[in-house]
Amino acid sequence: MPIRDSSCALPANRVGERRTVAPLLLCLPLLLLLLALLLRPLAHLLHQSLLLTDAPTAGITLHNYLEIAAVPRYRRALLWSLELSLAVAAGSTAICLAPAWLFTRYRFPGKRLMRGILTLPMTFSGMIVGFLMVIMLGRAGFVPQFLESLTGRPLLSGVGYQFPGLVLAYLYFEIPRATLTLESALAKLDSRLEQAARSLGAGHWQRFRLVVLPTIWPALLSTFAVTFSVSLGSFGVLLVLSIRRFTLLPLEIFTQYLAPPSDHGIAAAMSLTLLTIAFATGYGLRRLAGRGEIRHA
Amino acid sequence: MKPNRIVKFLAAALLVAVPVLAAQTTVIQYDCIPNYANWGGVTKAYQQKTGVVVPPDMKGSSPSMAALEAERNNPKADCVYYSGAIGYQAATKGLHDHYKPKGWDKIPAGLKDPNGAWWTVHTGHIAILVNTAALKGKPIPRSFADLLNPIYKGMVVYDDPRFNGTGFTFVAGISSVLGGKDLTAGFDYLKKLDANILKYNKDNIYNELLRGEVPIWINADGNGLKAKHVDKGSIEVVIPAEGTITMPLVMALVKGAPHKEEARKYLDWLLGSEAQSLMAESFFQPVMPVKLSPELQAKFPPKSAYAKAKVIPLDRMAAQADEIKKRWEKEIDGGR
Repeated sequence: MPIRDSSCALPANRVGERRTVAPLLLCLPLLLLLLALLLRPLAHLLHQSLLLTDAPTAGITLHNYLEIAAVPRYRRALLWSLELSLAVAAGSTAICLAPAWLFTRYRFPGKRLMRGILTLPMTFSGMIVGFLMVIMLGRAGFVPQFLESLTGRPLLSGVGYQFPGLVLAYLYFEIPRATLTLESALAKLDSRLEQAARSLGAGHWQRFRLVVLPTIWPALLSTFAVTFSVSLGSFGVLLVLSIRRFTLLPLEIFTQYLAPPSDHGIAAAMSLTLLTIAFATGYGLRRLAGRGEIRHA
Repeated sequence: MKPNRIVKFLAAALLVAVPVLAAQTTVIQYDCIPNYANWGGVTKAYQQKTGVVVPPDMKGSSPSMAALEAERNNPKADCVYYSGAIGYQAATKGLHDHYKPKGWDKIPAGLKDPNGAWWTVHTGHIAILVNTAALKGKPIPRSFADLLNPIYKGMVVYDDPRFNGTGFTFVAGISSVLGGKDLTAGFDYLKKLDANILKYNKDNIYNELLRGEVPIWINADGNGLKAKHVDKGSIEVVIPAEGTITMPLVMALVKGAPHKEEARKYLDWLLGSEAQSLMAESFFQPVMPVKLSPELQAKFPPKSAYAKAKVIPLDRMAAQADEIKKRWEKEIDGGR
């Protein structure tokens, strides 16, 4: 009896898959759409990234890509983007385990409401989350003013304009996404396995560590991949918080395109760099998750 | 609802919506921030008068120019508003049509392009806007030099000059105000000021000034006066002791505007006495000679406060715009 697959990225049942080209034909419209909407702009972006903005006739060069590594500001922006996204992906994947587990396994009063509240931030744009951050943890935010009324000192004042505030805002954004991604995976988990483990005398923690965790491991990986990719590309929060001496690569792209003097070549190179990292991470983690599947099958 | 009821409902909704939408003409103005120079009030009055909608647009001066450049072959905007230097720069890039709106002759020379590539609608001055309640007993800063006092640490804000024209005008002009020959004196000052800066905002923070989230905002005097007199905030508008920078705010018709005729009518109206008075009610100096009520006139700072105001030629600021923004990014915004 194979264990039911729990990754969203793969078909729900690997047994009984047939090799045939018919599905490919059915996917043709989608493929054509992808070609038109994704590949054409990508090709344009790639072309743009290989030309010098100041001398477009000078021919193809990797100068723009080298510039990202060479200019300290851009290099820092890339590294900060990676660090932030990794921290947020790890944090939100870890934090969402409990609510996702709760939602799949238990019925309790207010569950629907709680779920609604939790998934609300997903509908916000980054800028809205940024404004919320300013209102809550700005210089005269709600939290510091409340703490001042208790302690006489405006504790946490202005944290919203610092790195912790940014991480908090991103977590607020990603935890719902992570919870929903994981919840759908947990829902497919075969509870009979746990019952079997329980009847064999395994305790709570043992059941979680030896039965549940290995089974949902692929789902955790894909949750990590999704939150990482989304974090890597979003910058609306930072646009509002305007953290001093701090920047992220997507914000640099935005600035290059929108705050003249613009350098479209560098902006395109930055975009493709981000895209490649996001795609490679997603693909790599899914491969890893897929291997996890097979190991348990 | 049964399916046929849904169909009936949708049909009714369509019947109502189509004439409403069809009757609605729009004019797109880039850089139409409701809380800046009372654009919210001005566009509302225009809609009430003509039915033409001018939707808000939150782009600052430089992003507006960038958008026009990007859309050069397929323009989306009809008209555009900027702080003078950026508008001048956009005109040199050939992004504007030539148009001389009604009342053109009354605009003083120097505040318009002789061929109608841009013209001033009103002027403001760079001022120190202070939320006195948020100072919590600290003295009100009276000069640019006062702002360097460490007691204001984490309280001072000015707009990111790469995005907002008002921030750009301040960064480009501060050197002249402090008596510098070139930009060096200004950048030296900005580096010192950085120690007290809370953030370099890219969005509009009018409401944050009102709420006291931002205690000190270097911005246009008119926005502070509106916060004080119209929105009744605990706001004081300080014209700095060293002097200030006069900032023309300019408009232009976009080259290839999709609603050209409607845009021309709107641009004409903006120079008429009604719109000019509305702009004056938000304390930007109207460019046309309109008669203001004595009560309103009394709320403006006295003429003497502006005695040391510097008028920096727009062509000079525009020519240096890219260099100034790059230098600010490098020296103030954390190096490159």
